[in-house]
Amino acid sequence: MNGRGVHALGWLAGMGVAIGLAFVLGSYHTDVYRKMLIWVAMALGFNFLFGVAGQIAFSHFAFASVGAYGVVILSHQLGLPFGLAFVLAIVICGLTAFIVAIPATRLEGFYLALATLAFSQLVRVTIDEGGALTGGTGGLANYRLPPFFGVDVRGPWYTVCLVLLVAFTLWILTRVDASWFGRACRAVRDNPRAAEAMGVDIARARILVFVMTSTLAGLAGIGYAYVDNVINPAVFSLENSFLLLFMIIIGGSGRHVGAMLGAVVLYLAPFALEPVAGNHYMLVFGVLIVLAILFRPDGLAGLLRITRPGKAA
Amino acid sequence: MSAPLLQVRGLTRRFGGLVAVSDLDVDLGRGEILALIGPNGAGKTTTFNLIAGVDRPTSGTIVFDGRDISRQPAHARAALGLTRTFQHNMPFAGMSLTDNILVGRHARFTGGLVDVILGARRLREQESAARRKADELIEFTGLGARVDADVSTLSFGEGRLLEVARALVSDPRAILLDEPAAGLTGAEVARLARIIADIAARGIAVLLIDHDMRFVLPLAHRAIVLKFGEKIADGPPRDIVNDPAVIAAYLGNSAGAAHA
Ligand SMILES: Nc1ncnc2c1ncn2[C@@H]1O[C@H](COP(=O)(O)OP(=O)(O)O)[C@@H](O)[C@H]1O
Ligand SMILES: [Mg+2]
Repeated sequence: MNGRGVHALGWLAGMGVAIGLAFVLGSYHTDVYRKMLIWVAMALGFNFLFGVAGQIAFSHFAFASVGAYGVVILSHQLGLPFGLAFVLAIVICGLTAFIVAIPATRLEGFYLALATLAFSQLVRVTIDEGGALTGGTGGLANYRLPPFFGVDVRGPWYTVCLVLLVAFTLWILTRVDASWFGRACRAVRDNPRAAEAMGVDIARARILVFVMTSTLAGLAGIGYAYVDNVINPAVFSLENSFLLLFMIIIGGSGRHVGAMLGAVVLYLAPFALEPVAGNHYMLVFGVLIVLAILFRPDGLAGLLRITRPGKAA
Repeated sequence: MSAPLLQVRGLTRRFGGLVAVSDLDVDLGRGEILALIGPNGAGKTTTFNLIAGVDRPTSGTIVFDGRDISRQPAHARAALGLTRTFQHNMPFAGMSLTDNILVGRHARFTGGLVDVILGARRLREQESAARRKADELIEFTGLGARVDADVSTLSFGEGRLLEVARALVSDPRAILLDEPAAGLTGAEVARLARIIADIAARGIAVLLIDHDMRFVLPLAHRAIVLKFGEKIADGPPRDIVNDPAVIAAYLGNSAGAAHA
């Protein structure tokens, strides 16, 4: 069988398992599974931003909250039709990301991290102080996903939506990664001066990546909004941004498989570690990070050896 | 007679009180190998940076293919077909050798991110054309045995060839080489000289910057000699080596002229 066939089969098998799970899990495990899917979607986007394009940004959860709050406020607080609220929420994410990206992506490394941290705080304060519109620190609840074109998406079918969210994210990022644009992103990450000499408009590439991945984060945020039908500022906290970074580093920075593995392992780890290590599982993560950086810079994905080092995964 | 591909007029770059490049004129024609030489501190690197677009002139113009590019950013100049190599190899360390070369093709892809996501047919064609070209250049530079190697394990000479391949993959009209022979072994220098001659034979204009006259002069069709930012000679290599002003410039600086 040719590479294309294997590739298509891999996708089919993955989708089959992921969708099948939606129908066999009980309610507790469904909740765990859905949140895991959100983490995987978030990790995929952040991996592209951080691992592929080399931008150390801490705004990923801020954009997820823009998406989540955007859709809930527009559809349930302001009463817009869901489809419109959905599209508007995504547009708002993209526009916000664009406005943040223009100054922020001019900054390198540490300064980009600081600027995106500041933006995250700004979003957080806005939500906290948003009164009845955002629900303040208590967040928003008592809303439900309205029927969409007459279809009431409930139970396992909502989980299927989240599987599609992950698939859509992975599909887009894989395409972009394998293209001239993905190469440009990696080139800018590895050597901006040389990338520019090759004709890459560095500022443009950085802004595009930031907007694309932040919008995908917003989409994941929308998906999250209907998992518990509760959103509050704590979910989008900085702690989660750091966890996301750990997922990428442990999974294997710059590779989609790595991002997915890291997200699954680190999301599920507390469930396994909590009975043993109690609340100290973050400490275990910390040790894992140090070990990963020291001994396996290519992370869990490096253990798989699916592709050559240096080749786009 | 048609205008030369690259026309530099009155190029001047001051650093405070120091005039690094002074009122310099350079013409470079298609398929021509032009050497820009001169002792250390003569202003070669500054000239190179001004033409490549990583530095801005204090005054003067740079016209490429009839277009004034003096104010264009470096990436725009590359996109117009004026590419370069770096004196100190600058590979993309996290990418495969082929991908390193393919980055050089960046400007030849048309359309935006939406076309990429939708998988436009034109993009697939551009991608396969790019890969064919990259394979051809891997062959041309003799890097074939190293395609699967991690680029950080390339020797200095192989890294230099990668630089050359990366600068050629976009089918540029002119290529700027910054001391390409520096740090290479004798055999590598000979191979590089053949490659540069082949590049020019394809109709690509080559601007070669070096202080090693012995590498550059046998290869060049024409040479410009700089001293303290000023042009002191411009002509065929045969005339240059006998020019008293050039001999004087290099006198007492023979070490500078000899070491690579
Ligand atoms: N960025 C800079 N700031 C100040 N002076 C510079 C700078 N770049 C080059 N120069 C000076 O300009 C002169 C020409 O330098 P350069 O172009 O590097 O010469 P070459 O490459 O021929 O050895 C030197 O005197 C050098 O010290
Ligand atoms: Mg120099």
